[in-house]
Amino acid sequence: MAADRLQVDTIVIGGGIAGMQAALDLADQGYRVALVEKNPSVGGKMIGLSKVFPTLDCCSCITTPKMAAVAYHDNIDLLTYSEVQSVSRNEQGFVVQVLKKPRYVIDDACTGCRSCELVCPLDLPDDANEFGRTAHRVIYVPFTTAVPQKALIDIDQCVFCGKCLQACPSDAIDFSQLPAFLEIQARSIILATGYQVTRYDAKKQYGAGKLRNVIDGLMMERLLAPTGPYGRVLRPSDGKQPASIAYVQCAGSRDETLGVPYCSRVCCMYAIKQAMLLSGMLPLADITIYYMDIRTFGKGYEQFYRSAQAMGITFVKGKVARITEDADQNPTVRVELIDDHSQVVERKHDLVVLSVGMLPGGDPQALYGVPTSEDGFVRIPNYNVAPATTTQEGVFATGTAIGPMDIVDSIVTASAAAAEVSAYLQSHYAAGSLTDAERSLIHA
Amino acid sequence: MSYRADPRLMSELKKYGAVNVESCFNCGNCTAVCPLSTEEDSFPRRMIRYAQIGMREKLLSSKELWLCYYCGECTATCPRQADPGEFMAAARRYAIAQYDRLGLARRLYTSAGFNALFLIVLTAALGVFLYSFHGPMATDALQLFQFMPSEVIHNLGVIAGILIAGTVLAGMINMIVRVGNEIKFVKGAPLNWLGAFWETIGEVLVKRRYRQDCEIDAIDQPWYYQKWFVHASILWGFLGLFTATALDYLLELLGIKPTGAWVPPWYPVRLLGTLAGILLMYGATVVIVRRLRQADEAAAHSTPSDWVFLALLWLGGMTGFALEVSIYLPQPGAWSYWMLLAHLVVVGELLVLLPFSKFAHAVYRIVALYVYALKPLPEQVAVAGTAE
Repeated sequence: MAADRLQVDTIVIGGGIAGMQAALDLADQGYRVALVEKNPSVGGKMIGLSKVFPTLDCCSCITTPKMAAVAYHDNIDLLTYSEVQSVSRNEQGFVVQVLKKPRYVIDDACTGCRSCELVCPLDLPDDANEFGRTAHRVIYVPFTTAVPQKALIDIDQCVFCGKCLQACPSDAIDFSQLPAFLEIQARSIILATGYQVTRYDAKKQYGAGKLRNVIDGLMMERLLAPTGPYGRVLRPSDGKQPASIAYVQCAGSRDETLGVPYCSRVCCMYAIKQAMLLSGMLPLADITIYYMDIRTFGKGYEQFYRSAQAMGITFVKGKVARITEDADQNPTVRVELIDDHSQVVERKHDLVVLSVGMLPGGDPQALYGVPTSEDGFVRIPNYNVAPATTTQEGVFATGTAIGPMDIVDSIVTASAAAAEVSAYLQSHYAAGSLTDAERSLIHA
Repeated sequence: MSYRADPRLMSELKKYGAVNVESCFNCGNCTAVCPLSTEEDSFPRRMIRYAQIGMREKLLSSKELWLCYYCGECTATCPRQADPGEFMAAARRYAIAQYDRLGLARRLYTSAGFNALFLIVLTAALGVFLYSFHGPMATDALQLFQFMPSEVIHNLGVIAGILIAGTVLAGMINMIVRVGNEIKFVKGAPLNWLGAFWETIGEVLVKRRYRQDCEIDAIDQPWYYQKWFVHASILWGFLGLFTATALDYLLELLGIKPTGAWVPPWYPVRLLGTLAGILLMYGATVVIVRRLRQADEAAAHSTPSDWVFLALLWLGGMTGFALEVSIYLPQPGAWSYWMLLAHLVVVGELLVLLPFSKFAHAVYRIVALYVYALKPLPEQVAVAGTAE
C-alpha cells in the first residue's frame, strides 16, 4: 500500500500542553508543523486536571483553546490516534513513518453529533480517562471537550449490531477501515512525549493498590474536576464523602527502592492545590499532608503553601511508612512525627491520596536515537544554554519528556523549543519555511 | 544539659560497619516502618540523627540501640538506601567498644588484622596453658579427666568466670550510668522495679516482641526457620549447656556424682546438655548459612567479629558433641583427649571474648530491655478512682 506523503518544517511528537504550545508557536511564525498524538484527542494529561497551581485557574479553560487552535491552524496538520513507526534521516532532514490507527469512523464525515453513542447498546469502563469510574459506549467521542470531536469504535468490543450505522446522519461509520500509513518529510523533530505517573500500587507497604480507599493524585484530580465522574468527591469503597483526607508525599519519588531517586517537582504543589480545592468542596473535612520536605520553588508557590496553612490544612513532617486498613476499609497511616518528639503514631483517615511522581512517557532511544539521562528522561546536554537541544542534530525535546516539571514550566520550555527550532531552521534551511506547494499532501 | 558535638563520630561509626548512612535525609520512614518503634521509644532515625550531628553521648546513652532485633524492614524500605538496620548494628558494636574501658573491643572491631592475631595468640596461649596441666592419656578406657583434671577445669573456670563477670559488670555499669541519665521519671515516683524484671526475663527467654512484631513479613516461613526461633534456639542452647555444666559441677560438690563418672545418655543432666547442644548447633548452623548466603538485609553484612562469635559457638557445640560421642563409643580413640583440649580452648575463648565481642549484646540488651520495661507505677489516686 502506498503511503500518503506530507512535507513539514517540524514534526511534534505528542499533543499534550507542551507539544501543542511548541506547535502553535512555530505555526504562528509561519512554519509548517505536523502534530502527532497517539490518543484519539489532543490535550494530554492537562485536559484531565482540575485547576492549575498557584493561580487556581481552570485547566480546561487554558487547554481547550489551544486544542482547538492546533486543530484549525492553517500551518498545522493534526494527526490524532497516530503513532510514529520509524524515523530515518535523509538530506532534507527526517523521514517519519506514521501509522494512523483506524477509528472505524470516517474523519471527514463525522460531525461529532454523538447520535451513534445514544444507540450503542454496550458500555465499557472508561479506563483511559476516568480510571474505570465511569463508562463510555463502544462507539464514543473520547470526552466532552475532545479535539477532534469525532467518534471512534473500540472494535475488539463491538458486536457489529449495526445500530450506529443506522443512526449516523452522515454515513460516517466504516467497519472496513484499515490502518493508514503516512510518510512525513520533516526538517526537525520535537519530542513532547510527556510523562506517566509512577505506579500507585508499586509499594507493598502502601497496600500495593489493594486498599480501596488509597488512590493517587491523578485520580483525585478527576474527582475534583468539574468534568469528573461524580461531580463531587466520594471515596471508592462505599461512596461516602470523606471527612478526613490524608496526602502521602513522595509516594513515588525520592525513593531509591522504587528506582526513582529524583524529586518529581509537582507533587508538593498539586497536593497543596488539591487540599485547597477539597477545603472548598468539603469544608468540614480534615486534610493532612504528610511530607518529607515541602518544595515550593516557583513564583508565588511559597505564598500558596502559606495560604494553605492559613486555611487550616495540616502539614505533618514525616514519611508515611505503612498504610493498612480497618474493617470499614478506613486507611490507617503509620508515621514518625519528626517535629513532635519523634513519636510513632498510627492515624486513621477516610481517604488517602498517594502523591505519585513522574516517570518518562516513552523511550526516545529506540525510535529517535536520543539518549536518556540516568533518570530515563531525554538527555539535554547543555540545559543551561540550549534547553531543548538533544544530542541528535535536528531533534529537540520539551516539556516533561526532558524531566519532571509543572504546567508553567512545560509551556515555558515548549516556547523555548519553538525558538530553538526556529533558529535551527533559519540557519540550516536559509530559505526559511516551506512554500504552500511543497507542503501540500502529495498522493502518490 | 549541654552536649559536646563530636565531628569524628560518623567516621568512627563507619569503622564499625555503618554504610552509606550520611545519605540519610531524615524522612522518618525507618522509624515508622519499624514494628518496635513506639510513641515513647522511636528509632532508628533518631539514632542516625545523633550520629549525623556528632552527639556521641546521646548515642551511647540510647537504650533504643538494643531494642532493635534487626528484622531489616527499615533497610529494605529506606528511600535513600542508607541502610538504617546496619547502622543500628554498627552503633551497637560502637557502644560495646565504648562501654569496654579496656579498649580491647575497639581494637577487635576496627582491625581485622588485630582480631586475627589476637585469636591466634589466645588460642595458642590457652592451648599451651591448659596442656601444661595435662595428665596421662589412658588407652584402655577413656579417662578424659585423668588427662585434664576436673579440679583444674573447675578452678580455672571459676577464676575466669569471676574476672569476666567483673569486666562485664564494669561495662554494664558504664552503660547503666549513661542510659540512666536519659531516664526522665518524676523524682520519687514509685517504679515497677520487680515487674520490669519479670518482663525483661520474659522477653529475653520467649521473645514475644521479636516473635510477634518483628516477623510480620516472615509469616510465610515455617516457625523453626523464623529469625526469633533461630536466635532463641542459640540462646536456649547456650543457657541449657551452661546450666548442665553448672549442675554437673554442683553434683560433684554435693558428692552425688563425681565429674567424669560414666552416666547413661538419659541421665537428666546429660540429657539436658545433649538437647541444649542440639539447639545451639541448629541455631548457629542456620545463622552461619544465612550469613554465607546473605539471605536477607540482616545477613548481608558480616564483620569479622560476627564470624568469630558464630564460629566459636559452632565449634564449641561441635567439639562438645564429638566428646559425647566418644564417651559412648566402645573403642574410643586418642583423638578424644585432643577433642577435650580443643573444646576447653574454644569455650575459654568464648568466655574471654564475652565482654569484647558481639557476645556482649547478651548483657547490654538485657539492661536496655529492663530500662525499657521500667515505668512509673500507676498512681494510687487512679486506683482509688476506679474502685469507687
